[in-house]
Amino acid sequence: MKRFFPLLRHPKTDKIYSGSESPVIREIAALLKKRSMSPLARSISVRMIDCGSSNDVEVEEVMTTSPQVDCDRFGIHYVASPRHADVLLASGPVTINMKLALERTYDAMPDPKVVVAAGDGAVSGGLFGKSKVVYKSGKVSDVVPVAVNVPGNPPTPYELVLGILKAGEALSKKR
Amino acid sequence: MDSKINTLIQEIAKASVGAVSKPSYKGDAVWIETSPEDLKGACVSSVNAGGKFDSAFILPYQGRSEFKALYLFRMQGMGKVLILWTHAKSFIAVSPSIPGALWDERKMHELTGAVFEGLEDERPIMIHSENLKFMKDRGSLNNAQKEMYSRPYVISGTGEEGEFQVLVGPVHAGIIEPGHFRFHVIGEKVNKLEVRMSYMHKGIEELAEGKDVESIFPLIEQISGDESVANSVAYAQAVEYLADMDVPSRDESIRLILLELERIYSDLADIGGIALDVGYYSASSKYHIIREDMMRLNEKLTGSRFLKGMISIGGVSTDLSEEKLSEISNGVKLFIQELREVEDITMSSSTFIDRVFTTGMVFPKTAANLSLVGPVARAVGVSCDVRKYFPYGAYKANRVNEALAKNGDVMSRFMVKVDEIKESARLIEREIARMPKQSTRRKASNTIPSNESGIGLCEAARGSCTFFVQTGKDGKIARLAVRTASFRNWRAIEKAVLGNTIIADFPVVNKSMNLSYSGTDL
Repeated sequence: MKRFFPLLRHPKTDKIYSGSESPVIREIAALLKKRSMSPLARSISVRMIDCGSSNDVEVEEVMTTSPQVDCDRFGIHYVASPRHADVLLASGPVTINMKLALERTYDAMPDPKVVVAAGDGAVSGGLFGKSKVVYKSGKVSDVVPVAVNVPGNPPTPYELVLGILKAGEALSKKR
Repeated sequence: MDSKINTLIQEIAKASVGAVSKPSYKGDAVWIETSPEDLKGACVSSVNAGGKFDSAFILPYQGRSEFKALYLFRMQGMGKVLILWTHAKSFIAVSPSIPGALWDERKMHELTGAVFEGLEDERPIMIHSENLKFMKDRGSLNNAQKEMYSRPYVISGTGEEGEFQVLVGPVHAGIIEPGHFRFHVIGEKVNKLEVRMSYMHKGIEELAEGKDVESIFPLIEQISGDESVANSVAYAQAVEYLADMDVPSRDESIRLILLELERIYSDLADIGGIALDVGYYSASSKYHIIREDMMRLNEKLTGSRFLKGMISIGGVSTDLSEEKLSEISNGVKLFIQELREVEDITMSSSTFIDRVFTTGMVFPKTAANLSLVGPVARAVGVSCDVRKYFPYGAYKANRVNEALAKNGDVMSRFMVKVDEIKESARLIEREIARMPKQSTRRKASNTIPSNESGIGLCEAARGSCTFFVQTGKDGKIARLAVRTASFRNWRAIEKAVLGNTIIADFPVVNKSMNLSYSGTDL
């Protein structure tokens, strides 16, 4: 491959280690170490639902599957239906038009289930708390119970990964 | 150039029954007031003279009893934006003659409850009637709006025997925003597709009202995350237009660099997504490698992976140092070399070409009828680049080579986007070499005039976006109206899946246009 396409780099997957400069990566490393020690630690199936964010949270979620971040190596994978999911990753603020869809998606998930609120809008309503067309204050926790909050405008791919891993912890306590 | 627009204005005046105001020229725009009865005729003559319907906005006029409706046309051959406006309690719908205006008029009808005589589709487009019970402050709705929301939203098929419906959304299988697609199919063939949007409607336009012009950039960036620079620039230009403000030339150059960086990383997602949706994972991964590196470069330059918070009224909020500029230049050079190689791999794959060639055709007639913009229109050969026809900022000194293709299928859109990335890289390179070296100091900001209106146009990665800003008595925002490229182009997808496209090809057709749901719903 290198001979035909000399410029193409080998995918550089980021190193996750406890001596990293970034606190997020250090925290991920600690969590992964704990997970790897526990017997029968399961992978985490994530269903995402966008309840009204600008598309930036979705962009960052797609980037968690990029070869650099590669969330599959942490045991995280995105599934196509809430029926397959352990974790619901919701971005917000929750608009009135998405309120029912969020409720139904949550109801469709099998127990045990955990919700992660991703982005400022989902965590607190953000700029849209006073908007007429946002449900109550726009928080995801106004509609379904939230276990992990990931603030950010938008959160970076590693912050999302960390949020999902934390949700995995919450999940193993429920099992 | 001016003679052409004068001929058109005379034509409009001649055909009108009522009074037509004298045209007022300001910047690139020509404002003409007509009587409500003559508005439709004037719009049609503007389109016949080669104008492209851009957008239509509505706002309250002198209290609550009357409304002011504005119709914008991009007169490309004349280099002017023509704004026809009128004020009345009820209007005559333009959309029977200019089909592209249908969604605009549905939105105007829903916002105000004003009657648009002859409007073919009066269903609300922003708030779903079944969800109205969750809305706060329902008392502010007028009777016409209440009546509109009391009717159920009916989606009907073509009525052909054996037709059944496939319901997709609002929650999709992928990592994507919500929207509802109703396919009417016989077997695999799609007879009709209707899109129902507005699941993301969160009231951006309304929240901006009464705010300071400087303070709403965070709100503008929420319109569409990966278009935040383009939307901010368009908004800033609208305010600069109404306040007659000049932007220092180095700030204009930085704006150009940011806009083109944004175009590169947005388009990379689209072409990577097309490769992914036809099942070509190895090429898709390569595009994603370049994109992730690009977004990390963005973060290094501005602190935000989406280049947020960089634009301000009258310039940019932070200067880019020389080291940062050389970093951009080196980074972009490397990315483009890599892109060329991945492009070679992609285009030499017969399976890829087989899937995208003649899939999701948009025809020139559809493009003209629906007034499409951006890469979707350029893939059919419709030249519509705002950077070329209405150059703003640093584009005045840079000629943009518009990327065009003929077929209008997914393949053409792919090619147009690849060419646009290369063109963006060339523009960045040229601008870095050309831009003034001295760092700029913000001039004392002009006061924002009261009761003034301004428009701003900007070419985002998805196509041109238009912002309209009206200030109130105190110089604060009285009305902000936004028309993004996605709002204009969504109806193209309803047409693109017809013909020889099967229902299984819908994801790749959707991805090739990569329209923003949030940017449509606001």
